[in-house]
Amino acid sequence: MGCRVGGSADSVDDPWWRLLKSTGRLEINHVSLAPHSSHEERAWDWLSDEERRRWERFLRSGPRRRFALCRAALRAVLCSRLGCDNRDLAFEVSEYGKPFALLRGERAPIGFNVSHSGSHGLIALAEQGRVGVDVEERRRRGNLDDLAETVFGAEERALVAELRGEAKLHTFYDFWTVKEALAKALGTGLHTDFARFQVPPEMRGGERTGLFRFPHLSDVIWEVENLGSRQTAMAVALEVDPKGTGGLTPGVGHSGWEQDGQPFRSKPERRRRHQTRG
Amino acid sequence: MSSTEERVTALVAANLEVDGQPLGDSLNLEASLVDHGVSSLDLVAFAKVVAQDFGVTFSTEDCASINTIQGLIDFLDG
Repeated sequence: MGCRVGGSADSVDDPWWRLLKSTGRLEINHVSLAPHSSHEERAWDWLSDEERRRWERFLRSGPRRRFALCRAALRAVLCSRLGCDNRDLAFEVSEYGKPFALLRGERAPIGFNVSHSGSHGLIALAEQGRVGVDVEERRRRGNLDDLAETVFGAEERALVAELRGEAKLHTFYDFWTVKEALAKALGTGLHTDFARFQVPPEMRGGERTGLFRFPHLSDVIWEVENLGSRQTAMAVALEVDPKGTGGLTPGVGHSGWEQDGQPFRSKPERRRRHQTRG
Repeated sequence: MSSTEERVTALVAANLEVDGQPLGDSLNLEASLVDHGVSSLDLVAFAKVVAQDFGVTFSTEDCASINTIQGLIDFLDG
């Protein structure tokens, strides 16, 4: 069964999204959010009444456009994957605001996460494991070292502090998108204290992929990938399948990875580890 | 207008923008910052500016709990 966004067409002509990456468990689509009147009209037509009310609450045209184009693209890719009509889909949010899809009133058997910045949107879909994604245009900001104090751990701050110019900007955004993708995958977003966990050591050293564990959730492993380009920072985080099958990179499972060791544990977790050692 | 509101709205005008346009031009104190189009990184960066101006500290968790500029003003006055 094909995608029936809007309840009529079997396929979508002239889509504003395209497949960026696909592996066994993960699919990532890039969404073009540049101004485009016919895309915006079609996107608005696909929104539910509730989404149209949300669209109206945005106070400026840019955020309205980004919301409509991203949400409509999300509806299209979900319809395609689930073989359903657009009208069968609805969305709710978890306690900390992470959206999830309902298919005919029941939780859909697929997870997703969406991010947008400027003219770029990303949609990540995963049938198994929690997924988070983040995109940021690498625009210049004020004092990055000051901002790093709030959102980075000690080793991340030291790395950013020793860089200058483009390299500093690039690294700052790479670290931020990895951390936000992880926090969004976990489902807590900014409710997570970003300064208390760090980008995997291999990625701090320049690798594009890494494995990560939140110290307060040591049983759960996440695969992380830097998907960024020169102009745009992008990252995705995917919970490793407990059965050991990889999502971002086939063959990656639980084995062969050591914990970062940065302090992010809840007090009970810290006590438990101490008792185990003793 | 309270002193805190004056200081915060001045900081918004000087430091927050969406799509290259200052947010102060269309600021609604009661509207969600998300509805203004403010990104999470912009929000954290703005909180840092406010923290330095008011001599307080914000974690990312604090940022998440501040949904509106009025909420920020109330947080600072609280």
